[in-house]
Amino acid sequence: MLIRAFTLLLLTLLAVSANAEKVSTLTIYTHPSFAAEWGPGPAVKDAFEQTCNCQINYVVLDSGGDILQRLRLEGKSSEADLVLGLDTGTMETTRQTGLLASHKTDLSALNLPVDWQDPVFVPYDWGYFAFVYDTEQLPEPPKSLEALIAAPDSLKIIIQDPRTSTPGLGLLLWMRQVYGDQAPEKWQQLKGKILTTTKSWSDGYFSLFMNGEAPMILSYSTSPAYHMAVDKTDRYQAAEFEEGHYLQVEVAALVKSSDQKELGQAFLDFMLSADFQRHIPLKNVMYPATDLGDELPAVFDKLIQPAEALYFDPKMVTDNRRQWLNEWLDAMTR
Amino acid sequence: MNLQPSAPFSRPGWRLWPGLAIAGALVVLAMAGLGALVWEASLPDMNELWRSRYLRTVVAFTVWQAFLSVVLSLLVAIPVARILARQSGFPGRVVLLRLMELSLVLPSIVAVSGLVSVYGRQGWLTGFANDWLGASWNLYGINGIVLAHVFFNAPLAARILLQAIESAPTSQLRIAAQLGLGRWWYWRAVEWPAVKPIMPGLAALVFTLCFTSFAIVMTLGGGPAATTIEVAIYQSLRFEFDAGQAALLAMVQLAICGFLWWLAARDGLTASLLPDRQVASHRSKAGSSFWARSGDAAALGLFVLFLVTPLIAILLRGLPGIGSAFFPEGSFSVNPALLDATLRSLAIALPAGLMSVSASLLILACGTAASQPAITRLTNVAAYLPLMVPPLVLGTGLFLLFRPNLGNSSEGLILVTLINAMMALPFVLQMLRGPMGNLDSASRQQADQLGVLGWYRWRWLHWPRMRRPLALAMAYGTGLSLGDFGVIALFGSLGQPTLPVLLYQQLGSYRIDAAAATGLWLVLLLLMLFSLFNRLGSPLFNAGLASKSSRTVPEPEHA
Repeated sequence: MLIRAFTLLLLTLLAVSANAEKVSTLTIYTHPSFAAEWGPGPAVKDAFEQTCNCQINYVVLDSGGDILQRLRLEGKSSEADLVLGLDTGTMETTRQTGLLASHKTDLSALNLPVDWQDPVFVPYDWGYFAFVYDTEQLPEPPKSLEALIAAPDSLKIIIQDPRTSTPGLGLLLWMRQVYGDQAPEKWQQLKGKILTTTKSWSDGYFSLFMNGEAPMILSYSTSPAYHMAVDKTDRYQAAEFEEGHYLQVEVAALVKSSDQKELGQAFLDFMLSADFQRHIPLKNVMYPATDLGDELPAVFDKLIQPAEALYFDPKMVTDNRRQWLNEWLDAMTR
Repeated sequence: MNLQPSAPFSRPGWRLWPGLAIAGALVVLAMAGLGALVWEASLPDMNELWRSRYLRTVVAFTVWQAFLSVVLSLLVAIPVARILARQSGFPGRVVLLRLMELSLVLPSIVAVSGLVSVYGRQGWLTGFANDWLGASWNLYGINGIVLAHVFFNAPLAARILLQAIESAPTSQLRIAAQLGLGRWWYWRAVEWPAVKPIMPGLAALVFTLCFTSFAIVMTLGGGPAATTIEVAIYQSLRFEFDAGQAALLAMVQLAICGFLWWLAARDGLTASLLPDRQVASHRSKAGSSFWARSGDAAALGLFVLFLVTPLIAILLRGLPGIGSAFFPEGSFSVNPALLDATLRSLAIALPAGLMSVSASLLILACGTAASQPAITRLTNVAAYLPLMVPPLVLGTGLFLLFRPNLGNSSEGLILVTLINAMMALPFVLQMLRGPMGNLDSASRQQADQLGVLGWYRWRWLHWPRMRRPLALAMAYGTGLSLGDFGVIALFGSLGQPTLPVLLYQQLGSYRIDAAAATGLWLVLLLLMLFSLFNRLGSPLFNAGLASKSSRTVPEPEHA
């Protein structure tokens, strides 16, 4: 009965919504921080809709991982024309589903710390993972990952779980990149300083860090930009580590089953134009994927400039993630 | 046989089939979710579960923390319910009841923020304990998990127990009052018999809630040693795409919780064989002496402190931003985004509440109408399935059932409403089970003989007695949906957020003050909602036949 009611409702509504469509619609699967009222989504939508006789329709899923999951479940019948919000941690797995199409976008304008030549994924922003600290509680933060690991256990940090969170996975890869096979031992030394491992970045940042529970939290090197530009406070800063910082790149891609491929391709090209990119720095609080010149907000000059961008090839991550994760679990629960 | 003109819905089938259909649909849905996963990947060997040290620890830890949480929640809830039943007239009692109802429906991120402000490293209480008592306390670990679970569940349990104690059979109340029983004997003779039938169900409910707890366990657990099965399922599905392992873990969860519910359903359905005609003011003498009252006040004061301090922390944290949340940048028009989100949330939550209440009534009716106890037990256990099946598994199942047309447009919101109604079902059912079962057999037989059936039976026999529990159930059903984030996140939205989604959007973009204000607004809205429904449920008037037929004397004023 419930199922029949479901189906009936669906059918009625589908009939109604089918009549309403006139111009072509580009359906984009994305995540909340992009599509939020104050995020880049609405401004980008307005700007793009002016260049085409079309409409952008955002479907907001919980995270990059959820976009991938939704795509897998829907398979070839997905309504999505484009996915926006995957990152270097999820993109290889998404590629392996075979559900994405290659793009024709000219990538020469890209301004990333690494060379990017991917036939499927087009980056739209990037950033470094970093520990953000409260200058009032911790005037002298550790200067390297090694110093953090060697610090006394009275220094508390908040991290996110690599099983459920993007920055969490970022730290796992960061440690692996710096320490290789020694990583599990280093995790064991770090363990005493970890106050807790939250499910998501938001849980840790809102409930714990901003409540003053620990002076350091795993976040992004760009986080202070928001606090400085919008909250008008220099209190929260990112700690620069000598070993370098792990890189995150956020990407978009066309969906193979889309019937709006041309429109989707036009959007990908638009994505690397200034009309899109200028909304990234303060609305997504990340570095723009292209050089914005003078348009880059002044606070971005005050951010840390890591000596080295640490980065694993996405395929390497996909192949080893499970094993690295199990080693992490083992080290942390022993 | 029956010479009366038949009332609407008076055929016996109307009592049996709708409830059975709903229960059946729930079973199908749960099985579809699991089946879809097993279909995608073959089920791994059960032995693998016991061989993996990690999975073994996860199962053991999940059971252990849930067990501790249940025991502590009930240990807090029982005395609180007894005191509240004894002391029925102190000022602020109504407000306290509203606050107790609130704790369960609070979005976990808001509640955790409040708890951390009180019990965290920089918390008020931690500071107090360090400075004055010289005691050290660490929130992160099993302590924090259990504390949070008690905060969420003890008030709910106390609320349900209070309702049971207050509907204790009058004959017993009268005798107890005449004998002037002391507390212990009053507990043995009156209170325990009243709460005993609902105890197994209540314990199973709290156990399941703690068993499936996710974000709280991770935030307060201190590290991956505190991993529940639900986290492991999330990991398998979202991260490793190991559908087989997810299905296996979901089955373990289903088996453990389902077994408990099965036990609870066996014991819990003998509820109230005694006649129940509600008569008020047979208060025990036990609570009236000065010393007894002082003791009660002190114990209750501690509970109030436990319950209210985190709420005050939420209030203090939200206040700075609430002005600009409503009137952004000094404008004099109300922020349309917040207003829209509020209306959208209500548009989902109110129908969801109504649906879950209706479905619960049909399921309960089916339970009493079924001739075979097995059917009764099945419908009862099925109603609790939404709590036991991990939402991710359910969501996956729904997708595979309905693809490709799911959740991408406005039908998504309707689905969210339906799923929310389903998720609220176990709670609503728990609220209604006692009062529905309390109808004495004499009244029932009388009604049967008079041919008061179908709609009329509902309108004149059940409605007058169920008014208040129904209002409370409706408040919970609506409140749970209002504070829900999980279901809507599962299906995605059109970028038009509900209040909890707005909250998470704000969090995700560093808008900490705005998020705190949205959280506070959500709490206030929930409070208003509970007050409204309680007012609607209070027996201001008892229409016609109702008061005559059941000889209702004014009920004890509890809410």
